[in-house]
Amino acid sequence: MSLLSQILTILLNGLQQGAIYVLLAVGLSIILGTLKFVNFAHGALYLLGAYLGLFITTEVQLTNGMLPEWGITTFGLGLGFLAALLIVPLVTFVVGIVMERFVAKPFYDRPDTDQILVTFGLAVIFQEALRALIGGDSQSLPQPAWASGPIALPIIGNFPRWRLGVIVITALLVLFVYALVEYTDFGLIVRAGTMDSEMVRLLGIRLDRPYLVVFGIGAALAGIAGVVGGPLANVNPNIGTEQLVPAFLTVVIGGVGKIEGAVLAGLLLGTLQVLLIQTGFAAWNRVGIYVLAAVILLVRPQGLLGSEVDVE
Amino acid sequence: MTVLQTDGLTKRFGGLTAVDEVDMSIDKGEGVSLIGPNGAGKSTFINLVTRRLEPSEGDIQFNEQSILGLDPHEVVQRGMSKSFQTASIFPDLSVEENAIIAALAAEHGSFRFNFLRHRNAYPEVTRVADEVLESVGLYEQRNATAKNLDYGNKRRLEIGIALAAEPDMLLMDEPTAGMSPEETESTVELIKEVKEELDLTFLLVEHDMEIVFDISDRIVVLNRGQVIAQGTPAEVQDDPAVQDAYLGGAEE
Repeated sequence: MSLLSQILTILLNGLQQGAIYVLLAVGLSIILGTLKFVNFAHGALYLLGAYLGLFITTEVQLTNGMLPEWGITTFGLGLGFLAALLIVPLVTFVVGIVMERFVAKPFYDRPDTDQILVTFGLAVIFQEALRALIGGDSQSLPQPAWASGPIALPIIGNFPRWRLGVIVITALLVLFVYALVEYTDFGLIVRAGTMDSEMVRLLGIRLDRPYLVVFGIGAALAGIAGVVGGPLANVNPNIGTEQLVPAFLTVVIGGVGKIEGAVLAGLLLGTLQVLLIQTGFAAWNRVGIYVLAAVILLVRPQGLLGSEVDVE
Repeated sequence: MTVLQTDGLTKRFGGLTAVDEVDMSIDKGEGVSLIGPNGAGKSTFINLVTRRLEPSEGDIQFNEQSILGLDPHEVVQRGMSKSFQTASIFPDLSVEENAIIAALAAEHGSFRFNFLRHRNAYPEVTRVADEVLESVGLYEQRNATAKNLDYGNKRRLEIGIALAAEPDMLLMDEPTAGMSPEETESTVELIKEVKEELDLTFLLVEHDMEIVFDISDRIVVLNRGQVIAQGTPAEVQDDPAVQDAYLGGAEE
């Protein structure tokens, strides 16, 4: 394997690893930037996405947990992966809207710490309820048949087709959200609301509805991240919390509220992790992303593409 | 036609009566200034009219309908627009986007906007925004980011934002506060021009007497919550009660 193909492989794997962070961070970032709401339940939406994906795609035999004790031993609809890819975002969008109304909205005017407590609490409740019901075993979400196996790429050679699929799906979704925010009335109002929500209200525009949609979109992206990320690792009740911290790092490194920032930061973190893993420093890959985060935040506290930090 | 009318408008804070049975009316196309010494109740009056404060007594009619019970944003949608005391623009949006968002508010009301539509697909909104930028002299700079404008142009944009909502009445709360003499002069010119051009109805709150006498059709003088005089600039200038309120209040 030539050096060039090695570098390209690392970059492509980094792109894929980063893609999951990007999907999570874009939603988290627009929710934090626009609604000023710190959502520690974002990882739980990823978890929900992964399990819904599992549930819709396959039928799983359950051995642990309360459901088998109650006589329910098979779990799932077996509709296939494409169905999951279409249904999960819709379901998580609705879950996001319900969360905005009943969890986030009552806490908009409360301190960040209260928001963290309530959302993290909610995430833990969901995670542990899931573990109690179906057990903590790792399940595998199979790759879609149409995208499994390798694909031959120039220079790089064989590359897992599904990893490429994750990159393409992420790119399309991020472009969609970016276009929504940059080029539509909705986006203009959301961006203006991010800068000065009081003034948008004084102009006579109500922000309730745009905020609801922002939360829904963020939740849907996290749900999709769970589905597309599922086949790349095991699915178990811990994956939500595991993804939460890198997702927040991505948001902070990229600059709160900036989609381009989330993309850049996600790709940086992903590529660094893959670089460390593939050059024999696998044990250091988690350490690496924190060091990178610390260095970037020391130099640019507002994040790579963030605006000046406004002290409120 | 009467645009704004208050009847016996009163606001009490505990034992203090900040606004005391004020009857005031503004006709369409009229430029009215509200003046008075500090603590006369000007800000309270504005906050009552914009529905940010609940009156203790009295009625407020806008376009001949009572606006009691409405939310502030609903008052804006009825056509009362306010240019703010503090610099209020959206700093990271372009000049044109600043105007568009105000025009959107007027055009679509609260949340009827179709959020999947490209905003330029709605020519009316862009047309209003561009016309307003034209009339406040910022059309050439419409693609600039708002925060990069100089102070005077920021205040012009602010007035532009208020105008883009196509208001039936514009409230201006010290529009020249913090401006240099040149900027003040050009803003005063701007207000005069816009009034002429759009037959604008406005209510201005201002400390600077020179400006007030320059651009008002009528002046209302408030002291201790009550209207003590009103009339043309010349009438008000010669009114002994007004001179007393400004100069002689401390004698007793």
